[in-house]
Amino acid sequence: MQRRTFLGLGAGLFGGALLAGWQLGRRDGQPLLLSARNDSQGRHYAVGYGLDGSQRFATEVAQRCHDVVPHPYLSLALFVARRPGTQSYLIDTRDGRLVQTLDSPANRHFYGHAVFHHSGDWLYSTENDTRDPGRGVLGVYRVSQGRLERSHELSTHGIGPHQLLWMPDGETLVVANGGIRTEAESREAMNLDAMDSSLVLLDRQGRLLSRDRLAQPLNSIRHLAVASDGTVVSSQQYEGEPGERSDLLAIKRPGQALQPFPMAPPQWQAMSQYTASVAVHSELRLLAASAPRGNRLLIWDLDSAELRLDLPLPDCAGVAAVPQGFVATSGQARCRLIDCHKKFIDSTPLQLPAALWDNHLRVA
Amino acid sequence: MRKTLLALSCLTLAACNPAPDQASISRQLATQQVLPAYQAWLQANQQLGQSAATFCQGSADLTQARQQLLTVQQHWAALQPLAVGPLSEGNLAWQVQFWPDKKNLVQRQVEALLTSKPQLVQADLDSASVVVQGLSAYEYVLFDQAIDLSQAEQKARYCPLLTGIATHQQQLAGRVLEQWQAKDGMLAQLSQFPNARFADGQEAVAELLRTQVNALELLKKKLGTPLGRQSKGQPQPYQAEAWRSQASLALIGASLGSAQTLWQGSEEGSLRQLLPSAQQSLAEQIDQAWLDTQAQFKALDQPLDVLLKDAAGRERLNAFYDSLSRLHQLHASQLAKALNIQLGFNAHDGD
Repeated sequence: MQRRTFLGLGAGLFGGALLAGWQLGRRDGQPLLLSARNDSQGRHYAVGYGLDGSQRFATEVAQRCHDVVPHPYLSLALFVARRPGTQSYLIDTRDGRLVQTLDSPANRHFYGHAVFHHSGDWLYSTENDTRDPGRGVLGVYRVSQGRLERSHELSTHGIGPHQLLWMPDGETLVVANGGIRTEAESREAMNLDAMDSSLVLLDRQGRLLSRDRLAQPLNSIRHLAVASDGTVVSSQQYEGEPGERSDLLAIKRPGQALQPFPMAPPQWQAMSQYTASVAVHSELRLLAASAPRGNRLLIWDLDSAELRLDLPLPDCAGVAAVPQGFVATSGQARCRLIDCHKKFIDSTPLQLPAALWDNHLRVA
Repeated sequence: MRKTLLALSCLTLAACNPAPDQASISRQLATQQVLPAYQAWLQANQQLGQSAATFCQGSADLTQARQQLLTVQQHWAALQPLAVGPLSEGNLAWQVQFWPDKKNLVQRQVEALLTSKPQLVQADLDSASVVVQGLSAYEYVLFDQAIDLSQAEQKARYCPLLTGIATHQQQLAGRVLEQWQAKDGMLAQLSQFPNARFADGQEAVAELLRTQVNALELLKKKLGTPLGRQSKGQPQPYQAEAWRSQASLALIGASLGSAQTLWQGSEEGSLRQLLPSAQQSLAEQIDQAWLDTQAQFKALDQPLDVLLKDAAGRERLNAFYDSLSRLHQLHASQLAKALNIQLGFNAHDGD
């Protein structure tokens, strides 16, 4: 009861919890980095590391995962299957113990992303209805005695949903509908001639609150970051020709429509039409995006759109905010700590294992 | 006795000599193999500028102009396995060469540009599409059968484009070389560690190998596309890299040669030297694969389009492709693994 009262109060403070997300779950004075990772033999792992490179756990799992969702107060995190995976893994973040293998129901597969509600009682995950390939579904799961049970599902009001996050009220979901139809057991796009990507806000009952689209139909909205003031940033993957101009980042400021985030040609050209992770540092008002095909990590001022860092980093993958600035992982190189408190942002290599990190990094 | 002792101590010293470290190999390769290729590329582009000017003034003939284009194309091809850093970033490569050109955009966009801008000036070209800024458009003008540059009117139409492209290429090559030679530029980043780009020599060597492997993969595509490897065996001669000038095979040869220099390098530094003695059999396997691929290549004594026309020619091309494929595979899997280098992950298969 006490916990619920606290959490009820916490709803209004949820933005603050988002802002200082790295303070949650700290056990030994340092943030715990959570990610999906492979080894050089192609085996898949759910991993947890300290910022100093100390390994908390590396649990082998059957299917490759994508994003990781830490529970708001229990020492649990769901490692979500990468599309078209059908198994997500609930892991005890203290020791890496596999608590539960969550299988998607028949005719559904995961899309790599999910979120826990701040009450800790519900999980929402983006899924594909493979009987109507690409129809976006939110699987809703109840947390019961430390395990997940499927309760019901909602529509994402779009095609091929990918990442979803909470708005600062903790009750409104923002969903990136990538607009691309794929079938079960496939990553092949079926509808490049008829893509329909959208950024959707909906409530927990599944009611559509708003829908934004970008001007270019071939631009797939895939990843999201939400600042504590409710600013939403989306990052895109462009399915058109390599040399074409594309709006790879977009921003929806509170009360405004989604619009391209201003970017100079050298940056969008360097990103090779593809972004992986996007992260916001709410306290420093910075926006970071990784571009694994362009081998780049980029940081801008969220408000002025001034470019703060354009760093070559091979196969730059996950990006997450930490007190110092950001941590960036890589599929090929060593991970970097980006110190954003200096006038000229710089990076230092971390003592984490190099390479084979998947595209998302979470801090618990 | 003294001699024996000396010989013994030399042997011991040789045995104790540590293998060259990755930082020094990166530095040596960058200084001795890579940087000179960029300098040669700039020089060839400067000569292209002179060539365009003399051709357009009438003091050089078409054969000379074509020869200079081929020289630049070969330098560009040789640069591709060495395109680490600035040249592989920000769409620069598209400005040098537009390939593959599945829809014949080069012809369509050159003609559209010259029709809309009959008095073409440099600024027009510099702000135009990458399709018309590079060597592919230059090749179209000098080699396309529909263009007769012996006619004054045609020459007047196309010459501003030739001189414009030559200037654009010269400036581009100059900028890239500046980025290499600047303080904290690419040469410095491949030489001293850590730096803003590379945490250590291992990351620099990884980038060099990655660039070389990507180039070998691209060579497979450059050969495989016209050979019909991606189109059920149906040859596609007009999808070759330089089908108009019939230089496609020569360009493949130039890329192959410089990719091999990264492997073999010089006495001071090569990727080969990074393999420990326990991996000598792999080193010899790769040496053998290079010999085989080069031998298969040298046996192709006719232009690509001629070889594509008959079964015997296609058989030789396919044998070369298979050899190239084995060579690529040895670098991409076994060499990368032996050097503990991860070549691709999210960039190729992300979400």
